[in-house]
Amino acid sequence: MKDINIVIEMCGSAGEGTISAGEILSRFMSAQGYEIMSFDSYPAEIRGFGKCVAHTRISSDPIYSPGKLADVLIALNDNHSISQLSALKNQGILIYDSQPARPHEEDKSVLGWVDPGIITYGIPLTMLAHRAAGSARGRNMVALGAIAAIFHMDKAGFTQSIEDRYSKKKKIVIDSNVNSFLEGFEWATKHIEKIDSFSFEGVTMPLQDEKLIINGNQLVARAALDANLKFYAGYPITPATKIMEILSKELPRHGGILLQTEDEIAAIGAVVGAGFGGIRAMTATSGPGFALMTEFTGLSVMAEVPAVIINSQRGGPSTGIPTKTEQSDFNAALSGGTGDCPRVVLAPTDTYSCYQAIVLALYLAEKYQTLVVVLLDFFLSNSIRNIDTPEKPSESLLNANIAPQPEELENYQRYKITETGISPRTIPGTPGGIFFSTGLEHDEYGRPNYSDKGHLKMTEKRFKKHGAVLSEAPAPQISEFDGETADIGVISWGSSAGAAREAVMLARKEGISAASFSSMMLSPFPEKELIGFSDKCKKLLVPELNFGGQFANFATHIIKRPLERLNFITGRPMASEDILEKMREM
Amino acid sequence: MPSYDHYVILGNGPAGNNAASFLRENDKDAKITIISDENIPFYYKPGLTRYVTGDLAVSDLLVESLPSYRERNIRLRLGQIVDKIDPEQKIVFLRHKENVHYTKLVIASGSRARVLPSMRGYAQCLKHITTYNEVMEFKDQIQAANDFFIFGGDLVGFKFIKMLGSMGKKVTLLIYPNAFWPFTLTHEMQTTIASNLEKSGVEIIVGDDIHRIIEKENAYVVKTVKGMEKKVDMVFSFNGMIPSVDFAKGCGLDIDRGILVNETMQTNVPDIYACGSCAQIYNPDINSYTTSIGWPNAVVQGEVTAMNLLGDHKVIESAGRKYFDLEGVKIKTTWWEDIEESSSI
Amino acid sequence: METIKSDYLDERLDQVRAKDFLKYRSGDLPTWCPGCGYFGIMDALYKACRELELKHEDICTISGIGCSGRTPIFINSYGFHTLHGRSIPVATGLKLAREDLTVFAVAGDGDALGIGGGHLPHVARKNIDITFLLFDNSIYGLTKGQSSSTTPHEMKTNSHPAGNPDTPLNPIKLALAYGASFVARGYAGDPEGMKTIIKQGIQHKGFSFIQILTPCVTFDKTNRTWKNLKENVYNLNLHTQADNMETAMRAAENEPFGVGLFFQDKDRLSYQDILRGLNR
Repeated sequence: MKDINIVIEMCGSAGEGTISAGEILSRFMSAQGYEIMSFDSYPAEIRGFGKCVAHTRISSDPIYSPGKLADVLIALNDNHSISQLSALKNQGILIYDSQPARPHEEDKSVLGWVDPGIITYGIPLTMLAHRAAGSARGRNMVALGAIAAIFHMDKAGFTQSIEDRYSKKKKIVIDSNVNSFLEGFEWATKHIEKIDSFSFEGVTMPLQDEKLIINGNQLVARAALDANLKFYAGYPITPATKIMEILSKELPRHGGILLQTEDEIAAIGAVVGAGFGGIRAMTATSGPGFALMTEFTGLSVMAEVPAVIINSQRGGPSTGIPTKTEQSDFNAALSGGTGDCPRVVLAPTDTYSCYQAIVLALYLAEKYQTLVVVLLDFFLSNSIRNIDTPEKPSESLLNANIAPQPEELENYQRYKITETGISPRTIPGTPGGIFFSTGLEHDEYGRPNYSDKGHLKMTEKRFKKHGAVLSEAPAPQISEFDGETADIGVISWGSSAGAAREAVMLARKEGISAASFSSMMLSPFPEKELIGFSDKCKKLLVPELNFGGQFANFATHIIKRPLERLNFITGRPMASEDILEKMREM
Repeated sequence: MPSYDHYVILGNGPAGNNAASFLRENDKDAKITIISDENIPFYYKPGLTRYVTGDLAVSDLLVESLPSYRERNIRLRLGQIVDKIDPEQKIVFLRHKENVHYTKLVIASGSRARVLPSMRGYAQCLKHITTYNEVMEFKDQIQAANDFFIFGGDLVGFKFIKMLGSMGKKVTLLIYPNAFWPFTLTHEMQTTIASNLEKSGVEIIVGDDIHRIIEKENAYVVKTVKGMEKKVDMVFSFNGMIPSVDFAKGCGLDIDRGILVNETMQTNVPDIYACGSCAQIYNPDINSYTTSIGWPNAVVQGEVTAMNLLGDHKVIESAGRKYFDLEGVKIKTTWWEDIEESSSI
Repeated sequence: METIKSDYLDERLDQVRAKDFLKYRSGDLPTWCPGCGYFGIMDALYKACRELELKHEDICTISGIGCSGRTPIFINSYGFHTLHGRSIPVATGLKLAREDLTVFAVAGDGDALGIGGGHLPHVARKNIDITFLLFDNSIYGLTKGQSSSTTPHEMKTNSHPAGNPDTPLNPIKLALAYGASFVARGYAGDPEGMKTIIKQGIQHKGFSFIQILTPCVTFDKTNRTWKNLKENVYNLNLHTQADNMETAMRAAENEPFGVGLFFQDKDRLSYQDILRGLNR
């Protein structure tokens, strides 16, 4: 069965249509039945002509990571593309403008820097763009046309995708884009002598329902709405801002209300207030905002009030690096703040599971009357995948509050000690259910109580309640073992899990006996399953995107044995290639 | 801030590479760029015939690996075409619209197969063994074919014929006297070579010419003027090499067949040098310019060019460095002396 | 539950039980010092709720940290004792999520104007429909007598034994500057007057800011004593001009002991009404 797995990058400056070209490519490929994953990077400055890179991976098999290096680099802008060359594979392909508007001075042309092993295809992008639409604007579409020809993509299907993308625009816009595409296609067909071996011809993909092309932030918003979110309070912060922006439009349409607050403290305060009122509420932030919310995490847990915080991690600490991905808030999420403060922490491992994570978070927060932190990261928030439209949550996940029985309202104890640790909770507005909540240690009625026995009892209750969450946690993802044991077990979390999984698959192809483990539920953690996994592996490896090995430190305590670490803080997503190389060394 | 020289070398063959190596060894700071219009690494051209017959692996052909250029800080730009040179501004204009500034330029662009004017109409039918790419294309075809028609008779051609013979192929050779261009074989040399080859089973045709070549069902029918007809699988032309210097025309350089240089490898234009088979070197003994072919010559000339660039006034030796055996005839690799007729058959 | 036995408290309890507004008082005994002004505030609050016939289960009282933080325990309503400076954001979230509830936010001067100072401008300018009670005793009581944001200049406190170097904030001026649509002042020694103001505040559709002058009998024995307050407090009677910002501002500046309504904009829409209008 012929297959294809290719990473195409387009690099241009802001305003050249780099990102939209990448979008069109992804959309078209998805419609053709391929798996796609895109991770674009934008310039750091708001204005100007900073560097944009549209990075798209297209595959006939499931994709687990975006691919560290590109197979193809389309250089729309020579200056920026020069710095992007390091991301091109050694035997990669460079598409460049062979007839730019003005000659480049030496070494300002991307060809001045290209490694001798790279295959270079020169397309007169500027000339063809002018021919198609009278200006250089359509160079991005010319380039798409050229690669469509070189890699044998379906011309008619692609043209249709372009028309669909611009269908709401004036005819002249549609035409200029389509014509630019076709010019590129025809020219490349006639003039380019293909010397590479990538081809979409002959790769047949099964027909499927139309997939959702979506990124983590959008999926989070969608999941929240499906899961009955009715209140959102938030403060803009990269990379979580988009969640708020989407909900600001959609939440009112779903009967909810959105509040943009003056700071993150007010945001989490409002979320806790809404949770106290029995309404599903959440906020989304990143490292610096999460740090501000720390005090309220204690209140949510101590007063047993539902709250959901999404932390889309970025380079840290402090203001850190707003536009790069990292996984360095593990410690903060699990144990940030003061006191014995157990909270639920979920970390989806790929775009698709972001949906499940949010539905579960709102459910668990409501049922277990506690704080749930959902850890995303810049990569998960912004990378785009094509996924099957998720099924809406069942009714049982939407109404999770355990209310007291009528007889329990006589002399109602809000913090009654129970088997599960969950005390039945009345919602304000319920007659006879009046109670008092406080951040002070309290008795079963909620009244402040500082006795040693009382504090122990309540702390035990809260921990027991926290532990009970495990019974409803999604099972950890463990790859199959070839036989009873594996030589190397890779334990990962969050968005690194995809790369880990891919690395294990590739390792096995090379004859290395390997297996992978990841869990979306980080707190409470499925320790038993991890120990069981560890027992079956000779060596263990923990790859993660932080310097100190936060998860490795956590895991090593559970399994009580040393493990190999692989730490990166490059700001780029975890690459299966790097994990594989480390596995080979091991 | 001292400014460093930028040595730009056009051509990725033995002359250019050796010049680059020598320059780098003696000047750590200069910028050195090699530009070649072909997309292939530096390979050992004389080994092509043996590669074709399977004696050498592809890896044996490679002289310098790509990483070695980076290690020596030599910029290697492959597949980039030079449109023209501007000696006034000292710029090399590349086809993809990039202007490369040089302080010193070395043209080492080599030579390509010469197609006889009378044969131009049949250019599609003819095969040459001059570049790596060509050989890649039809190596398998050679293995599978049985009958070969070869006309011309230069060094590479004779080597090739020998190889084919050892593979058990049937070869017909039509010798042209001036195939070894720019050198002309004397009648005696022709006879010696011919009888040697006939001993190994090659059918020799002399004093004739090709009339027509007809392509028919993956095979060719070659008709000579004197009426011979041969049906063969492949037709090869070995008629010498001509310098690849079209890009250099019109910028003020003196060019005959190749680029004219003096004994210190300099052209008539300041700061431009030439070496290897694209150049014609002045020989004071004969008061004329001669071309050279062959790997060892290119290597030496590259080095001499580099020495001169570095300021060391070095005159190219006029004595030949090496002889090669052309079917029993000893021929020097430099051509500014008369060919000795000493031979051993 | 521990019970505190003492003659004084039993007597007080009997007095209290005799009065009819026991309904809103919870069963817990306040832990404030005898003579604290907060008792009077609670009386007024209970009266207001009763006269408006508010259902217990529809009332939520949100407090911060300080002596005033205990307030929700002593009201028969849903109560939430939150974090220092944060009663306003929590109350905001609660009210926006549950428009059907009556939400009180209470805070001391340190809580509301110090650590919580950043929240006041926004709850006021957004006109969130809650009633905010500022228990202003111009000192940090719970932590035992340090200067607060409203402690007068040069007053000697436990954190400034040589005298407070800072200039105090003027809560009424602030509330007006932040655009609050209902700004009033009460006096803990006048439960009747406070009740009226609180009722008005509850009924006001929008953010109601009510500063209440009250002594701290334990830690302020010189400045804001019952005696000084009694002598200086008087009724403002601005209500005929209470929609005039200029008058309000002038009064805020010049009448530090005037109690009553300073300003009310009845036409201004509450946050939720504005949203409904915009989203249409």
